[in-house]
Parts: sequence; structure tokens; C-alpha cells
Amino acid sequence: MRDRRLAGCVLAFAATLLVPAVVHDTFLLRVFTEAVMWIGLAVTFDVLAGYAGYLNFGHSAFFGIGAYTTAILMVRAGWHFAPAAAAGGAAAGLGALVAGFPTLRLKGAYFAIATWALARAIQQIVLMMDITGGPDGMRLPALLSPRFFYYVMLGVASVTFFAYWFLLERAPFGLKLKAVREDEQGAKALGLNPTKLKIQAFILSAVPTGIIGGVFAYWVTFIDPASTLGDLVSDQALVMVVFGGMGTLIGPVIGAVLIFAFKTLFWAYLSDYEVLYLIILGAVIAGSVVFLPDGVLGMLPRRKEAGNRA
Amino acid sequence: MPEPILVLENVTKNFGGLTAVNEVSFQVRPKEIMGLIGPNGAGKTTLFNVISGYYAPSRGKVLFRGKDIGGKTPYALAGRGIGRTFQVVKPFPGLSVLENVIIASFLRHPKRARAEEHAWKILEFTELADRAHQSASSLTLAGRKRLEIGKALALEPTFLLLDEVVAGLNPTEVDHTIELILKLRDQGITILIVEHIMRVIMRISDRLVVLNFGQKIAEGPPGEVAKDPGVVEAYLGVEKA
Amino acid sequence: MELLPQALMDGIMLGAIYIIIAIGFSLVYGVMHVIDFAVGEWIMLGAFAGFYLTEWTHVEPMLLLPGVFVVFAAAGYLFQPLIHRVLSGHRGNPLLMGLVFTFGLGLMFRGLAQTFFGFYSHSIPSRFSNGSFFLQGGGFSTTVSSVRLAGLVYALAITGILHYLLKHTDFGLGVRALAQNRDAAGLMGVDNKRTSAFVYGIYVGISAMTGVLIGMILSLSAKMGPDFTIFAFFVVVLAGMGYLAGVPAAAFLLGIIQSFFLIYLDPGYTLLAVFAILYTILLVSPRGLFGKGV
Repeated sequence: MRDRRLAGCVLAFAATLLVPAVVHDTFLLRVFTEAVMWIGLAVTFDVLAGYAGYLNFGHSAFFGIGAYTTAILMVRAGWHFAPAAAAGGAAAGLGALVAGFPTLRLKGAYFAIATWALARAIQQIVLMMDITGGPDGMRLPALLSPRFFYYVMLGVASVTFFAYWFLLERAPFGLKLKAVREDEQGAKALGLNPTKLKIQAFILSAVPTGIIGGVFAYWVTFIDPASTLGDLVSDQALVMVVFGGMGTLIGPVIGAVLIFAFKTLFWAYLSDYEVLYLIILGAVIAGSVVFLPDGVLGMLPRRKEAGNRA
Repeated sequence: MPEPILVLENVTKNFGGLTAVNEVSFQVRPKEIMGLIGPNGAGKTTLFNVISGYYAPSRGKVLFRGKDIGGKTPYALAGRGIGRTFQVVKPFPGLSVLENVIIASFLRHPKRARAEEHAWKILEFTELADRAHQSASSLTLAGRKRLEIGKALALEPTFLLLDEVVAGLNPTEVDHTIELILKLRDQGITILIVEHIMRVIMRISDRLVVLNFGQKIAEGPPGEVAKDPGVVEAYLGVEKA
Repeated sequence: MELLPQALMDGIMLGAIYIIIAIGFSLVYGVMHVIDFAVGEWIMLGAFAGFYLTEWTHVEPMLLLPGVFVVFAAAGYLFQPLIHRVLSGHRGNPLLMGLVFTFGLGLMFRGLAQTFFGFYSHSIPSRFSNGSFFLQGGGFSTTVSSVRLAGLVYALAITGILHYLLKHTDFGLGVRALAQNRDAAGLMGVDNKRTSAFVYGIYVGISAMTGVLIGMILSLSAKMGPDFTIFAFFVVVLAGMGYLAGVPAAAFLLGIIQSFFLIYLDPGYTLLAVFAILYTILLVSPRGLFGKGV
């Protein structure tokens, strides 16, 4: 059963490979690239939220760390893009390790606010430093190849997705993580080290997020604290995950596509009402919790897999 | 006499000003069933939590197979062969019965396929195989208690702590669980069991330790302990109150 | 040399405000087991209510506090069942869902406030704002504006009332029973739903009143919420989760840190300092300053 679903995902992935062959409009390809980026950010958010049961309102911090590390290495140290983006992912992973060790001891709700405070603190640091350009942001060398960025973004997002599929749905790691989510004390008695598992999940979520941040920086050629470290990255990832279906890998993908499509249309026709978007995001989050507790995915007819919640 | 598998030496556990377990010492020998009884609040569950690593003892020593394990984490102790159940059963409610047992099986069988194979054996043994794909929260109380034992067994422990595994079951289910426990002993697992139902504890225990107000007030074969005046008073005293 | 006592006094007054916010926050957590992410937004909405009411009626804002309390408490009381529904749903992780829900609410409130109240900062004019006291002693001297003193008095009064309510009334007994053990409290005849709704109402009412006060002493804007949510959380974690007695010390510490950064350093660094302290505390003593949290 699961393999059939995996096959579906591989097919969908193959279809996305063909997008640049069909879409020649630069603007539209940008939209597709960003959609893929949000799929990546939603899936990485869900590793911690859905599988480990921890809301990370500092998701933007890892995105921003990746973006800034890449930008600094490319601009100030003359690195090539690929190693710089990889370093961005490593920096985000390191950040997760350092931040996760004390904060993951907190109960879920406190963790959420602690990571939120962390994201804001990092934003402050970036604003203060010279190497990041402070509030003026940083400009990266421009590479004007929409196709290149589409494929890079797609590569990062799909490698992340399939790696997660293997780790969370096939390998023992996913089940162990769910055990910790369901009952941390009970999991300990079964030989599981909850802190270690949670930190591993945190790093697993942070590294691809950092790489995506790095790709984003090179792609848009200009980053500043608001665009990479603002609350919107975390808020939007959350709404995609909750709306699509938390604790699954497919749910966030569906959520990301639907919410991003909505956002694009909204921005195209109602860009004067930026705040309205915030209201809608909030309403969708609160409304999903009340009316769609399993997200859009929960509304789809289920295959007969007794007791197996994917 | 064989080397004891578990030795408690003057184990004390304080919570702030409250002494929940006070200078308790006893030994458990390999392959025996040791019963731990006492009125409510006597410190039985606290003692379980100390032995299984959930609390570090405030004073005293816990030796498991000759090594001091006081203050070791529960997951490290699971690795060393101590399995336990919880009085308030702790299935992972959102996961299936099979998945619950697979998670425990990972300890000895890190590969998913091997763990699943092992989990099926445990489910056969605990007679839960026909409910393997149900969600754990859908089981009856008896089923959940059996799952709790199954999860502890999946760890392939040499020493098993059972915390009120028959409380709340009907007589048929009780007999069923007793059979299961005796089978485990025959497989060579040493068992320390807390139980309120006297009929059960008298029948299966080789020896008993009695706690009252955190202190050990008696130790010995069930027949002797039952006649001990201190024990009788502790129980009657509680009933009168 | 006049700055130091000034910073200390300001810190104490800010701290007093944080005490009230953090107590309400902990109370709701104790009874409903939900961390209200919208706490900062309730404060913000209360502040705007005070601002507009003062503008329309020209009544001294201190006198409006009871009215603000009643209106917001009623709103909270009516609102609570919705949160209750989310928490008691048959979902795998109701706590997480409660968090997500209040977060969504907070986002919505913030957006609505920006739409209707605009992006600008305001302050609530009060008769107390002009007056001030001159304190002298021990070679130090400092001026204390009367509005801040009023704030301190208010904070102490609210803390006292809450203390009385919790320790000396049947309602308080029910609340404490619920916080200890929900099932047992139910058996003892505590009406879980009603008590929770009352607690939530009281908390929303107090948060809103505190918002008015913050608007008088500091300033208000549609975006002020998140900072206060973070500060409330900071106080609760620093105090040790679930350890109410630790709240005042933690709140005063936060207030003093904040006022020192405001006077001596760049206020932009405040959050950084707050996070650094939080991080250290969690690393060294995860159960709070006094090691008595859960």
C-alpha cells in the first residue's frame, strides 16, 4: 500500500521535472520555484510539529541562518554557491543542536515560545552586525537563470522529501519519534532516549531548511532580516502543515500547494491589503483546528489500512 | 544460594520534606517472583521508579547484577535488561498495537523487519495478535494491560517490574494474566510485582516484601508474612481508617 | 548618579505589570492546560479599548478599568468553550492543537487590529501622567511619575485579589482542585467547564486592564502583542513552570533588565539579553530560578 503511494509521489516528482519544458514564462516559473520552496519549508516544519509534537516558531531562524551563511560566504569569502549553500545547511543544523539542547527539555508549548524568542533574538543579532549589512541587507551576485533555480530548489525539496520518507515512514526513527510524541515517559521505559531523538529530529528539520534558505538567497539576490528572518516564514509553514494535515508527509505538500496558490492569487489581485493576508492566515489556522482536525488530507477517502495512520 | 539479581541497600527517596521510601533493603534472587505489597501511599510505586531509573535515590544503593545503577536513566536500564510496566498503563494511543510493540522491539532488534517479526511473536504470546492493527487506544482495559506487559517483554528483559497488572480486571482475566506471569517465570525472567489483590499475590509470589509509610516492615514467604502481626495491623489499621 | 535608582524604580514597576500577566497566563495553563498564545493580543485589544474610550469620553482611564474588565471578562467567558472544544477533541495531540488554535487567533487579532487601528503607536493620556513624586534617601534621589506609581498599586491590588480568590473562596478551591487533578475535581463536584470559563474570563479581563495600564505608562500599537507574550512566557519559565511563588522574583528581574537596557544600552538588545538569560537558566537549572518548577 505504502509503496503504491510512494510510487505516486515519484510520478508526481517526474511531472514536476517537466515543468520548465512546458512553462516558458519567467514569472510563472518563479511562482513554481517558490511553490517548491514552500513545499520544502512545510515538510521540514512538519518533522518537528507532526512527528515529534513540537511547534517550532523559530523555523524562520534556520531559513535565515542558511540564507545569511550562504550570502556571507559567497559575497565576503568568494565561495561558490554549492558549498556555500551546504555550509548554510550545516550552520542551521549546528544552530538546532545548540538551541535544541536546553529548549527541547521544555514542554511543547514552552518550546514554541522559546524558539519564537530565539528567532527574534537572531533577527536582532543580524540587524546589529556589520558582516550581514544590518538592516540594509545583502546583495548577492546575480545569476539570471530561472530554470537553474527551479531545478536546484526542486532537487533540494525532493531529496528532502524522499529522505524523510525513508527515515520517518520506513526506518525505525519515525516510529521512535512518534512514541516520544505520544508519551515521553513511557518511551523511556522502552529504551528510547527522548532528548536525543528530539534533537535529531530538530537537526533533521533544520539542515534542509538552511539549504533552502541558501538557495533562496542566491535566487532572489537580495536578502534582509525582514524577508528571511521575519515571522512570516514560520507562520506560513505552520498554516500549510495544519491545513494540509499534520504528522504526515503528503499533508504538508498538499497544504503548501493550496496555500501558496491562494497567496499568489491574493497577491496578484489584492496586494494593497497586505494585512488582510495575516487575518486570513490566522483564520485558516484557527478554523482548520476546529473544523479540519486532520487537515485537507483527512477529508480524502482513506484506503483500508486499519490502524495504520500514515 | 545464587547471586541476587537485585540488591537494595538502605534506599531512601525524599521529595522535599516528604520521605516516600525510607531505608529500604532487600534482595531479589534470580528466577523468583518477589511480591511487593503495602497499603496505599506506602511507597511501592516510588520504589519502582527508583529501581527503573525514573528517580535517583536520595540515599542508599541499588545494585543490579552487582553494578550500582542508582541515577542511571530509564532507557539505559532498559538496555541492561530491566523492563517495567506502569500502574497507569501507557500505550502510545495514536499508534497501532503492533507499532507499540515494534517500538519496544527496536531495543534488541534495530532493523525494522526483524523488530516487526519479533513483535509478532510477542503478540502471539500475549494473545493480542488478532488486534495487532487496531489503535492501542481502542483496546479494553484488559487488553491495554496485556499490551503493557507485551511491550515490557519485547525488551527481552532479565528482570521485570510489574505494577498492578491485574488491578481492575475481572476474575477470568485475572487468572489469564496470572498464567502469563507464571509462564514468564518459567522462561527464566525474574519478577518484582506490586499488586493489591491478595489472592493473586499470595498465589504467585515466592517471597514478599511489605512496605508501610515508606519502610520495610516484613519480608519472607507469603504464608509467614500473612501471619506477621505488624503486617496485619498495617492492613487492618488502614481498613479501619 | 540619578540614573541607577531611576532604572531600578522603572524596573520594579515594569516587573509589577509582568507579575499580573504571568499569573493570569499560569492560571489558565493550570486549569485548562493550554498556553494562550494570544495573551499579548488580549493585552493589545484592552489597550486599544482604553485608548478609544478615553478619546471619546475624556474620562480618566484609571476609572475605565473596571468597565474594560467586565467587557473583556465576558468576552473571554463566552470564548472559552471554543478553546475547550479544541482541547477535548479526539485528536492525537489536543495540547498541540490548543497551541496552534490560540496562535491562529493571535495572528487574526493582530491583523484585525492593524486593519482597524492602523500601524501607529499611541499612548493613553491620563491625569496621572503629569504628576510625579520626588523620592530622596540614602544619597539617592529619583522622580517617580504618578502614573507608574498608580501602576504599581494596581498590580499589587490585583495580585492581592487573585491571591484571596484562590486561597479563601470556594471558587478558588475549585480552581486549585482542577489544576491538581482534573478527574478527581470532577468527582468532587467541581464543574470543569464553568470553572474553566470563569478562569479564562478573569484572565482575559485582567490582561485587557493591564493593557490599558501599559498604554498609559508605555505606549500601545497593533503590533505590541508578541513582545508581551514572550515576556509572560519568560517570567513563567524563569519562575519555574507551575511554581507561582517564583513569579514575582522572575518578573522583577525581567523588569529591571528591561529598564537597564532602556536607559543604559540599546533597547533593541533587550530581547537578545532576555533570550541569553533564558538559555542559560534552562541549561543550568531547567526547573527555573528556584529549581521548583515541574
